[in-house]
Amino acid sequence: MQIPDAHLVLHGLAIKKHADAAAVGKLVGLPIERASKALADAVKRGRANEAQGRFILAPMARMALDGEYSKYYSDLRGNADFVAAYEGFERINVELKQLITDWQTIDVAGKRVPNDHSNAAHDEKVISRIGDMHERADKLFARLAAGLPRLQIYRDHLLQALEKAEDGAIEWISDARIDSYHTVWFELHEELLRLMGRTRVE
Amino acid sequence: MATPLGKWTLALDGGAAPERSLIGGKAWSLARMRELDLPVPPAFVVTTQACTEFLKSGSEPPELAAELAAGIAWLEAQTGRSFGHGSKPLLVSVRSGASISMPGMMDTVLNLGINAATEAALAAECGDAAFARDTHRRFEELYRSIVLRGDPGEVPEAAPSQLQAAVRAVFDSWNSRRAKRYRQHNNIPDDLGTAVTVQAMVFGNLDANSGTGVLFTRNPLDGTPEPYGEYLARAQGEDVVSGKFTPKPLEEMRKTVPQALEALLAAARTLEHEHRDVQDIEFTVQQSKLWLLQSRAAKRAAPAALRIAVDLVNEERIDKATALSRVTPEQLASLTNPCLEDPDNGGKPPLAAGESACPGVGIGMVVTDSDEAEKRAAAGEHVVLARPTTSPEDLHGMIAAKAIITEQGGSTSHAAVVSRSLGRPCVVGCGDGSLTALKGRVVTVCGATGRIHDGPLPVMRPSEVNDFRLAQFMEWKRVAEQKN
Repeated sequence: MQIPDAHLVLHGLAIKKHADAAAVGKLVGLPIERASKALADAVKRGRANEAQGRFILAPMARMALDGEYSKYYSDLRGNADFVAAYEGFERINVELKQLITDWQTIDVAGKRVPNDHSNAAHDEKVISRIGDMHERADKLFARLAAGLPRLQIYRDHLLQALEKAEDGAIEWISDARIDSYHTVWFELHEELLRLMGRTRVE
Repeated sequence: MATPLGKWTLALDGGAAPERSLIGGKAWSLARMRELDLPVPPAFVVTTQACTEFLKSGSEPPELAAELAAGIAWLEAQTGRSFGHGSKPLLVSVRSGASISMPGMMDTVLNLGINAATEAALAAECGDAAFARDTHRRFEELYRSIVLRGDPGEVPEAAPSQLQAAVRAVFDSWNSRRAKRYRQHNNIPDDLGTAVTVQAMVFGNLDANSGTGVLFTRNPLDGTPEPYGEYLARAQGEDVVSGKFTPKPLEEMRKTVPQALEALLAAARTLEHEHRDVQDIEFTVQQSKLWLLQSRAAKRAAPAALRIAVDLVNEERIDKATALSRVTPEQLASLTNPCLEDPDNGGKPPLAAGESACPGVGIGMVVTDSDEAEKRAAAGEHVVLARPTTSPEDLHGMIAAKAIITEQGGSTSHAAVVSRSLGRPCVVGCGDGSLTALKGRVVTVCGATGRIHDGPLPVMRPSEVNDFRLAQFMEWKRVAEQKN
């Protein structure tokens, strides 16, 4: 089913709050002109608010949006390979969360303390484990993108973040202020929960 | 020098350690431990030259299979066990190891050599069929994920075939995506190659005089200069990590394996002396005999980092410049982080409590909506964000808040991960409905203890005045900075 731009941009804002038109367009796979136009329409209709070129969903629009997914993604929800890949993602998500926790905190004699990144060996090991997990997860990303091509963007961004971290810019693992590996992973998770009509456990 | 078993392999038999470039970092440290007369399980190495040859020609050197067999025969003679058959099966670990460590190289395959026959033999030997089954299962799992890399394929029954495939997987991992990128980025030549270490496994669960544990040469939490560690009798390494069993203090070893304890304490002194830093030593006791599995610089909490650096200078083990390099700016900052004057709050029960996700103290008025948190913070108010859970769209509220508290989720939840990346004090999993009632109240969140207290509590900042080691360290730092 053809999904209207009006839905796609609001969906983009549900994932990336305070995003500008370019970021929303990129995330949902729309050229910037179409994203800008759809966002401007949404503001006119009171479904989004704009401040300094950045957008957020209007509170009522959120509820309307939540009700639209079943309409636009019923085919996807019935696509057995996509659903299986999604379920695989949920399983590997548990591993990712543990890895990010191992990145941020270290076990010192059985006690968890914040990782101040003073132990290069620990950091290298965790990045290596994330890389290893990524290579397994990437097979799932490929299947997800086969079911819904615009999901390829997450796959590309995850690899970019990972490679930056592997090259020594370690903030690309979990810094919440940038499109770090964890930021993008979490956005992908949010995306999939919405597509599948599931809710988050924690 | 270690003894050559042929053209491509070396037995690490206690002679002077061969070149790091030939046997890789991991084998080098094993060889060095043997050179120091420390008890490490016997091992042999397939050299980096064999890998270079493999990379050049695309296949293993023709002599390699015979040399692996010779290496195994040597391990069998050293251990009195047999590989792939017999009543006392020899299991080995296979690990990669280049002279420079790099990501993307093959992970360690453990328990190699197990199959249906040796599983039965091991079960009989340790009187624990479940352990033998688990050892077999773990091997198959590792083999599938590491050697077969998740692709369909059979796990061979024949132990020599298992070994050959694992060695080849190590060679192949030299050209993994991550290893190639790492070498490119760090200007490491592509033809250095990796070595492969094949080491006999030891068992900590054979009888009551067997066990496994970990020793820190100093306390890694506060830096007290005394050995600190745990021991679990009748157990393998994974049992300690799994948290399924409660390990005992090291002193417990005195009851069953006193000689192993003495040997361990002596080894700890040797290793700390050798490395001039606090060591984290993994060990196993097999039928009263101590085996050291690994020794590395210990991870440590910030207070320990400071104390150990200062103490080692005062013990004349390291110079001041080295001490200064061992405490990072982040660690120094965290040592002077504000904390509660009275962490117990005079015994008054907290308003709510959960799991500590990120330490620190945050004081503010509780708001339950991220947009409101952002608005109030922009107006100069101090707020604490309380949510059932957080999701990506709460990020702006989390950035604006002085602390973050949630009702659901644990230490790996979104709120925990994001708060740590932002450095915001955070308590998670306070319980369903526990936080809504706090809306509009001023609270003090103590991230370290996971408690939320009523009202603003007094905080203090540790300083040089009340910590003489910090004073000493800061003095060295000032002198060093003046010199530059």
